[in-house]
Amino acid sequence: MLELKSISKRFENRFLADKLNLSVARGEIVALLGASGAGKSTLLKIVAGLEQPDAGQVFFDQQDITQLSPEKRHFALLFQDFALFPHLNVLDNVAFGLIEQKLSKKTACEQAFAMLERFNLATHAYDKVTTLSGGEQQRVALARALITQPKALLLDEPFSALDAELRQSLRDEFKQHITNMGVTTILVTHDELEARAMAHRGFRLAAGQLTPVW
Amino acid sequence: MKHSSRVALLLLPSAAVVLMLLLPMLRLAAEGWGGTVDWAFITIWQDDFLKWRLAWSFVQAILTCFLALVFGLPVAWVLARFDFPGRQLVLRLLMLPFVVPTLVAALGVLAIWGPQGVLSQALGIDLQDTPWLLLYGNLFFNLCLVIRAGVDALGQVNAHCVAASRSLGATPWRAFWRVEWPVIAPWLTSSLCLVFLYCFSGFGLALVLGGQRYATVEVEIYTLVAYELKLAQASSLALWMLVLTGLVALAYAYVEKRLSVSTRLQPVALRQPKTALNWLAVFGSMAVLFFFCAAPILAIVWRALLADSQAWAALLDAETQLALWNTLRFSAVALLIATVLGIAHALGTGTGRGSVAWRAAAYLPLIASPVTVAFGLLLLYPDWTASLALLIAAYAVLAYPFVTKAMTAGLGSLPDNLGQVARTLGASPLRTFSRVTLPLLSPALRRGMAFAAATALGEFAVTLFLSRPEWTTLTTLIYQRLGKPGAVNVDTAMLLACVLMLLSALVFVVIDAPEWFGKTAPKLTKS
Repeated sequence: MLELKSISKRFENRFLADKLNLSVARGEIVALLGASGAGKSTLLKIVAGLEQPDAGQVFFDQQDITQLSPEKRHFALLFQDFALFPHLNVLDNVAFGLIEQKLSKKTACEQAFAMLERFNLATHAYDKVTTLSGGEQQRVALARALITQPKALLLDEPFSALDAELRQSLRDEFKQHITNMGVTTILVTHDELEARAMAHRGFRLAAGQLTPVW
Repeated sequence: MKHSSRVALLLLPSAAVVLMLLLPMLRLAAEGWGGTVDWAFITIWQDDFLKWRLAWSFVQAILTCFLALVFGLPVAWVLARFDFPGRQLVLRLLMLPFVVPTLVAALGVLAIWGPQGVLSQALGIDLQDTPWLLLYGNLFFNLCLVIRAGVDALGQVNAHCVAASRSLGATPWRAFWRVEWPVIAPWLTSSLCLVFLYCFSGFGLALVLGGQRYATVEVEIYTLVAYELKLAQASSLALWMLVLTGLVALAYAYVEKRLSVSTRLQPVALRQPKTALNWLAVFGSMAVLFFFCAAPILAIVWRALLADSQAWAALLDAETQLALWNTLRFSAVALLIATVLGIAHALGTGTGRGSVAWRAAAYLPLIASPVTVAFGLLLLYPDWTASLALLIAAYAVLAYPFVTKAMTAGLGSLPDNLGQVARTLGASPLRTFSRVTLPLLSPALRRGMAFAAATALGEFAVTLFLSRPEWTTLTTLIYQRLGKPGAVNVDTAMLLACVLMLLSALVFVVIDAPEWFGKTAPKLTKS
């Protein structure tokens, strides 16, 4: 279980999080809604270990991971602009995390290729990531995130850069992959329809407080 | 990156700048202020000769700024607004004067307008001992700087704003004056500040082209130290130079801070030149570029090709080979140190609070006069003046800002989330740097290193002050040859200038090869 306990974070004399609490069960998908600048992405970065809270703790399976560096948390993060490494091809992007887990390049690439096949992206394995469409890029980003079998998946507005039709088909595909792998997920979005379609529970973040929406 | 890591990274370049730049300049200031009663800081203005030197240094810098603006702005406008065959190549070649060593440029000017110059002989004009030689040389270096700034600035003009002004009744000229000019003016001011600094504290060009009458303060400082041993007098002059360049540098930093790059604008679209007037503008611009920037280089090559066989033979003598070897080894070591200093400074600077000050600090070696620095080093470390380490350290400190500048720009355009994703995928900070940051910044690093290498290869002023006879480099050898009588020596100097130019071009192409041979860097856009 992923837990945030009494998390506080201030930015320019404004509370983005004010003694905030949240629990996400294993395999559960929780959505965080809220206006731009409410602090949703900051909260996600605190969970990922990319930012430190001013106060409070982050727990995973009863273990305090607040001070743990991002690479040791084993959480995967997905951004709205995909954040694919432009100097690597599709296969090397997907294999990136496996190589960091000390797998040999050959094994990592084999596993990455198998993952790309599951995502119907194998034909693009050796393409430059910049030549892919927006939807393909986001699927590569998800494949890269899931291949390391992360303990938690953190999605930061994953579909906002895509057009409406693609968003719908992609969120169904994402939900299927995430559910199949049973990974604990926090989805940050400003789109309530999208949130309801994907998440088991939803919260609204405003003035540093989380309010349950469903 | 943690604050403590940034501080640790900044320690190395800070120490280098303090020890090799600030302390020598402070030592010089102390010497100038506390010199003998006759040559104190203020009383220097009572000497008409020195007053003329200071005034002329100022006037030639201002004149160059004016001419660079008058010729540069129309050329920049043509390059920014018209799409014509060869435009991309011209934009790329605008960088060339930055890698041409000062002394080579001076020889280029002499090859055209000197006593045996191509044009001076053809037209029967003698420009020797006139200010025009120096102004022409200044324009060779600085026109491209203003043009590049102008092209970048015009790219920041929002087409929608221009269209709106036209629909509100503005003529094209009024639209330029009321909409485009306010956008480009700060950029041009910034580049003109740099032009002023380069010309005001210029040494190599003024030494060769200024003659007795139109030499600048920097040349006078060198003469006072090297030939007349009047250290106190030289210190007072150097102190005035420090004060004046410091004031302009502050103005530059102020203007630079106000420059902003908008990524969300609709740039004015390039159009094909169609009318005769359009084509006249294009050809006129190319003619200006050819006359000021290409002609000196071509003239050197022309003069070298016509050189006497004795001059060609001199290329193979032991003296030339030693100079070539010294140039290569000094530059290679300096480049290595400059790269380490530059990367450390750029990574330590970051993008957060305080980064502006550190970014500005990286410009210090660029705007400091090499003569002032070399003179300060002589005063501060008298026991080290015959030390090769001091010479190479000075080379490195003067060259490293190019690496910092390129790396800082690269880091600025690197999206934060790439590093963050790498961390969440299990990469440590060091692995993130080696697997993501460094590969993505390698084009910027190579570009910075190419400029740093060109600076080291063409270094002249510091070498002249701190060098020993056995450390002769190509630049000092060219200067020695120019000082000797006879056409053979001038021919040899031209040939050596060609060698130096080729070396600079070669180093630039080798380091920057992927860019030149079409392998483009991944496009990075900060969200």
